[in-house]
Amino acid sequence: MTQQSDSVDGPLNWFPALMGWVLPGLGQVLLGHRQRGFRAMGGILGMFLAGVLVGGVDCVDRREDALWFYAQAGAGPVAFAADWANSALLKTGKVGRLIPSPPPNPRLPPPQITSFKTVTMSNEIGTLFCFTAGLMNIVVILDALRRQPANPKGWSA
Amino acid sequence: MSAFLAWVPFLQPMTVLGNGWWLLMVPLVFGVAVVHRAIQDPSMDGYWRRVLRLTVKANAVLGSLALAIYLFVYFVIPLLRAD
Repeated sequence: MTQQSDSVDGPLNWFPALMGWVLPGLGQVLLGHRQRGFRAMGGILGMFLAGVLVGGVDCVDRREDALWFYAQAGAGPVAFAADWANSALLKTGKVGRLIPSPPPNPRLPPPQITSFKTVTMSNEIGTLFCFTAGLMNIVVILDALRRQPANPKGWSA
Repeated sequence: MSAFLAWVPFLQPMTVLGNGWWLLMVPLVFGVAVVHRAIQDPSMDGYWRRVLRLTVKANAVLGSLALAIYLFVYFVIPLLRAD
Protein backbone atom coordinates (compact mmCIF):
# COMPACT_ATOMS: atom_id res chain seq x y z
CA MET A 1 0.00 0.00 0.00
CA THR A 2 1.55 3.29 -1.05
CA GLN A 3 0.90 6.61 0.63
CA GLN A 4 0.66 9.80 -1.41
CA SER A 5 3.60 11.99 -0.48
CA ASP A 6 1.89 15.34 -0.94
CA SER A 7 -1.53 14.68 0.53
CA VAL A 8 -1.57 14.87 4.33
CA ASP A 9 -3.93 15.73 7.14
CA GLY A 10 -4.11 19.48 7.62
CA PRO A 11 -6.36 22.46 6.99
CA LEU A 12 -8.75 22.09 4.08
CA ASN A 13 -8.08 24.31 1.04
CA TRP A 14 -11.57 25.72 0.54
CA PHE A 15 -10.68 28.54 -1.87
CA PRO A 16 -8.57 26.42 -4.25
CA ALA A 17 -11.33 23.77 -4.18
CA LEU A 18 -13.92 26.40 -5.14
CA MET A 19 -11.65 27.66 -7.92
CA GLY A 20 -11.34 24.05 -9.06
CA TRP A 21 -15.06 24.07 -9.75
CA VAL A 22 -14.88 27.41 -11.59
CA LEU A 23 -12.10 26.07 -13.83
CA PRO A 24 -11.19 22.37 -13.55
CA GLY A 25 -7.65 21.89 -12.25
CA LEU A 26 -7.25 25.52 -11.14
CA GLY A 27 -7.25 24.41 -7.49
CA GLN A 28 -4.10 22.35 -8.00
CA VAL A 29 -2.50 25.22 -9.97
CA LEU A 30 -3.18 27.66 -7.08
CA LEU A 31 -1.64 25.16 -4.67
CA GLY A 32 1.55 25.16 -6.75
CA HIS A 33 0.99 21.81 -8.48
CA ARG A 34 0.92 23.36 -11.93
CA GLN A 35 1.56 20.22 -13.97
CA ARG A 36 -1.12 18.23 -12.14
CA GLY A 37 -3.60 21.07 -12.47
CA PHE A 38 -3.08 21.71 -16.16
CA ARG A 39 -3.20 18.00 -16.99
CA ALA A 40 -6.41 17.52 -15.01
CA MET A 41 -7.81 20.64 -16.70
CA GLY A 42 -6.95 19.29 -20.15
CA GLY A 43 -8.49 15.91 -19.36
CA ILE A 44 -11.75 17.27 -17.95
CA LEU A 45 -12.33 20.06 -20.47
CA GLY A 46 -11.26 17.70 -23.28
CA MET A 47 -13.80 15.09 -22.18
CA PHE A 48 -16.54 17.67 -21.80
CA LEU A 49 -15.90 19.29 -25.20
CA ALA A 50 -15.62 15.84 -26.81
CA GLY A 51 -19.02 15.01 -25.33
CA VAL A 52 -20.63 18.15 -26.74
CA LEU A 53 -18.90 17.56 -30.09
CA VAL A 54 -20.15 13.97 -30.31
CA GLY A 55 -23.61 14.47 -28.83
CA GLY A 56 -24.37 18.12 -29.56
CA VAL A 57 -25.36 20.69 -26.92
CA ASP A 58 -28.62 18.80 -26.47
CA CYS A 59 -26.72 16.27 -24.33
CA VAL A 60 -26.55 18.87 -21.53
CA ASP A 61 -30.11 19.67 -20.48
CA ARG A 62 -30.88 20.98 -16.99
CA ARG A 63 -34.65 20.53 -17.31
CA GLU A 64 -35.20 17.38 -19.36
CA ASP A 65 -32.18 15.38 -18.14
CA ALA A 66 -31.88 16.74 -14.60
CA LEU A 67 -30.27 13.64 -13.08
CA TRP A 68 -27.52 13.60 -15.73
CA PHE A 69 -27.08 17.34 -15.28
CA TYR A 70 -26.41 17.09 -11.53
CA ALA A 71 -23.19 15.20 -12.31
CA GLN A 72 -22.40 17.21 -15.47
CA ALA A 73 -22.56 20.41 -13.40
CA GLY A 74 -19.51 19.12 -11.52
CA ALA A 75 -17.45 20.23 -14.54
CA GLY A 76 -18.24 23.84 -13.62
CA PRO A 77 -19.65 26.83 -15.50
CA VAL A 78 -18.93 25.12 -18.83
CA ALA A 79 -21.89 22.79 -18.12
CA PHE A 80 -24.19 25.74 -17.44
CA ALA A 81 -22.92 27.41 -20.65
CA ALA A 82 -23.77 24.28 -22.65
CA ASP A 83 -27.22 24.13 -21.03
CA TRP A 84 -27.75 27.81 -21.84
CA ALA A 85 -26.72 27.20 -25.47
CA ASN A 86 -29.17 24.31 -25.63
CA SER A 87 -32.01 26.44 -24.24
CA ALA A 88 -31.18 29.64 -26.15
CA LEU A 89 -30.29 28.17 -29.55
CA LEU A 90 -32.02 24.83 -30.02
CA LYS A 91 -35.15 25.06 -27.87
CA THR A 92 -36.09 28.49 -29.18
CA GLY A 93 -35.65 27.42 -32.80
CA LYS A 94 -32.92 30.00 -33.50
CA VAL A 95 -30.87 27.11 -34.90
CA GLY A 96 -32.72 24.39 -36.78
CA ARG A 97 -36.51 24.54 -36.68
CA LEU A 98 -39.18 23.59 -34.18
CA ILE A 99 -41.42 20.68 -35.11
CA PRO A 100 -44.48 19.34 -33.26
CA SER A 101 -44.03 16.04 -31.45
CA PRO A 102 -46.74 13.63 -30.24
CA PRO A 103 -48.23 15.06 -27.03
CA PRO A 104 -48.03 12.95 -23.86
CA ASN A 105 -51.64 13.95 -23.18
CA PRO A 106 -53.97 14.13 -26.24
CA ARG A 107 -55.89 17.04 -24.69
CA LEU A 108 -52.74 19.18 -24.55
CA PRO A 109 -51.26 20.98 -27.57
CA PRO A 110 -48.32 19.09 -29.15
CA PRO A 111 -44.98 20.20 -27.69
CA GLN A 112 -42.46 21.75 -30.08
CA ILE A 113 -39.03 20.13 -30.26
CA THR A 114 -36.00 21.14 -32.27
CA SER A 115 -35.23 19.31 -35.50
CA PHE A 116 -31.67 18.86 -34.13
CA LYS A 117 -32.88 16.59 -31.32
CA THR A 118 -32.13 12.92 -31.89
CA VAL A 119 -32.25 9.66 -29.98
CA THR A 120 -29.03 8.32 -31.52
CA MET A 121 -26.25 6.52 -29.69
CA SER A 122 -24.05 9.57 -30.37
CA ASN A 123 -26.30 11.70 -28.20
CA GLU A 124 -26.19 9.15 -25.38
CA ILE A 125 -22.41 8.77 -25.61
CA GLY A 126 -22.05 12.57 -25.59
CA THR A 127 -24.16 12.70 -22.43
CA LEU A 128 -21.92 10.04 -20.89
CA PHE A 129 -18.72 11.98 -21.79
CA CYS A 130 -20.04 15.17 -20.12
CA PHE A 131 -21.29 13.14 -17.13
CA THR A 132 -17.87 11.50 -16.69
CA ALA A 133 -16.11 14.88 -17.01
CA GLY A 134 -18.32 16.28 -14.23
CA LEU A 135 -17.70 13.32 -11.92
CA MET A 136 -13.94 13.41 -12.55
CA ASN A 137 -13.88 17.11 -11.69
CA ILE A 138 -15.58 16.37 -8.38
CA VAL A 139 -12.69 13.96 -7.68
CA VAL A 140 -10.19 16.69 -8.67
CA ILE A 141 -11.97 19.22 -6.41
CA LEU A 142 -11.79 16.80 -3.47
CA ASP A 143 -8.09 16.31 -4.22
CA ALA A 144 -7.54 20.10 -4.19
CA LEU A 145 -9.37 20.29 -0.88
CA ARG A 146 -6.90 17.92 0.82
CA ARG A 147 -3.67 18.41 -1.12
CA GLN A 148 -0.75 20.02 0.67
CA PRO A 149 0.48 23.21 -1.08
CA ALA A 150 3.77 22.84 -2.98
CA ASN A 151 5.00 25.96 -1.20
CA PRO A 152 5.14 25.32 2.58
CA LYS A 153 3.93 28.90 3.21
CA GLY A 154 0.58 28.04 1.67
CA TRP A 155 -1.25 28.55 -1.58
CA SER A 156 -1.11 31.82 -3.51
CA ALA A 157 -3.54 33.34 -6.00
CA MET B 1 -19.88 11.52 -46.75
CA SER B 2 -23.06 13.57 -47.30
CA ALA B 3 -24.07 12.97 -43.67
CA PHE B 4 -20.71 14.36 -42.57
CA LEU B 5 -21.07 17.48 -44.75
CA ALA B 6 -24.55 18.20 -43.36
CA TRP B 7 -23.37 17.86 -39.75
CA VAL B 8 -23.21 21.07 -37.66
CA PRO B 9 -20.47 20.50 -35.00
CA PHE B 10 -21.47 21.10 -31.36
CA LEU B 11 -25.13 21.56 -32.30
CA GLN B 12 -26.01 18.25 -33.91
CA PRO B 13 -25.00 14.77 -32.75
CA MET B 14 -22.23 13.15 -34.79
CA THR B 15 -24.42 10.68 -36.71
CA VAL B 16 -21.55 9.82 -39.06
CA LEU B 17 -20.25 7.38 -36.41
CA GLY B 18 -22.93 4.84 -37.31
CA ASN B 19 -22.24 1.44 -35.79
CA GLY B 20 -18.75 2.53 -34.71
CA TRP B 21 -20.07 4.44 -31.68
CA TRP B 22 -18.56 1.90 -29.29
CA LEU B 23 -15.05 2.94 -30.40
CA LEU B 24 -15.60 6.16 -28.41
CA MET B 25 -14.83 4.00 -25.36
CA VAL B 26 -11.13 4.55 -26.18
CA PRO B 27 -11.07 8.39 -25.90
CA LEU B 28 -13.39 8.25 -22.88
CA VAL B 29 -11.05 5.90 -21.02
CA PHE B 30 -8.06 7.99 -22.14
CA GLY B 31 -9.67 11.13 -20.64
CA VAL B 32 -10.34 9.35 -17.35
CA ALA B 33 -6.74 8.06 -17.30
CA VAL B 34 -5.32 11.56 -17.92
CA VAL B 35 -7.23 12.97 -14.93
CA HIS B 36 -6.74 9.94 -12.68
CA ARG B 37 -2.98 9.84 -13.18
CA ALA B 38 -2.69 13.63 -12.78
CA ILE B 39 -4.04 13.51 -9.23
CA GLN B 40 -2.99 10.04 -8.07
CA ASP B 41 0.68 9.75 -9.05
CA PRO B 42 3.20 10.96 -6.45
CA SER B 43 5.50 12.16 -9.25
CA MET B 44 4.84 13.44 -12.77
CA ASP B 45 7.87 11.57 -14.17
CA GLY B 46 6.77 9.03 -16.79
CA TYR B 47 3.23 10.43 -16.62
CA TRP B 48 2.23 9.81 -20.24
CA ARG B 49 3.62 6.27 -20.20
CA ARG B 50 1.43 5.47 -17.17
CA VAL B 51 -1.58 7.15 -18.79
CA LEU B 52 -1.08 5.01 -21.89
CA ARG B 53 -0.67 1.84 -19.82
CA LEU B 54 -3.88 2.55 -17.85
CA THR B 55 -5.77 3.33 -21.08
CA VAL B 56 -4.66 0.06 -22.69
CA LYS B 57 -5.43 -2.00 -19.56
CA ALA B 58 -8.87 -0.48 -18.99
CA ASN B 59 -9.83 -0.85 -22.65
CA ALA B 60 -8.62 -4.46 -22.66
CA VAL B 61 -10.75 -5.25 -19.58
CA LEU B 62 -13.83 -3.50 -21.00
CA GLY B 63 -13.32 -5.18 -24.38
CA SER B 64 -12.97 -8.59 -22.73
CA LEU B 65 -16.18 -8.05 -20.76
CA ALA B 66 -17.98 -7.02 -23.95
CA LEU B 67 -16.68 -10.12 -25.75
CA ALA B 68 -17.73 -12.37 -22.86
CA ILE B 69 -21.26 -10.90 -22.86
CA TYR B 70 -21.44 -11.21 -26.66
CA LEU B 71 -20.47 -14.89 -26.51
CA PHE B 72 -22.93 -15.53 -23.68
CA VAL B 73 -25.86 -13.86 -25.47
CA TYR B 74 -25.25 -15.26 -28.96
CA PHE B 75 -23.79 -18.71 -28.21
CA VAL B 76 -24.61 -19.82 -24.67
CA ILE B 77 -28.22 -18.63 -24.34
CA PRO B 78 -29.34 -20.33 -27.63
CA LEU B 79 -28.04 -23.62 -26.20
CA LEU B 80 -30.33 -23.37 -23.16
CA ARG B 81 -33.47 -25.48 -23.42
CA ALA B 82 -36.70 -23.54 -23.18
CA ASP B 83 -38.88 -26.36 -21.83
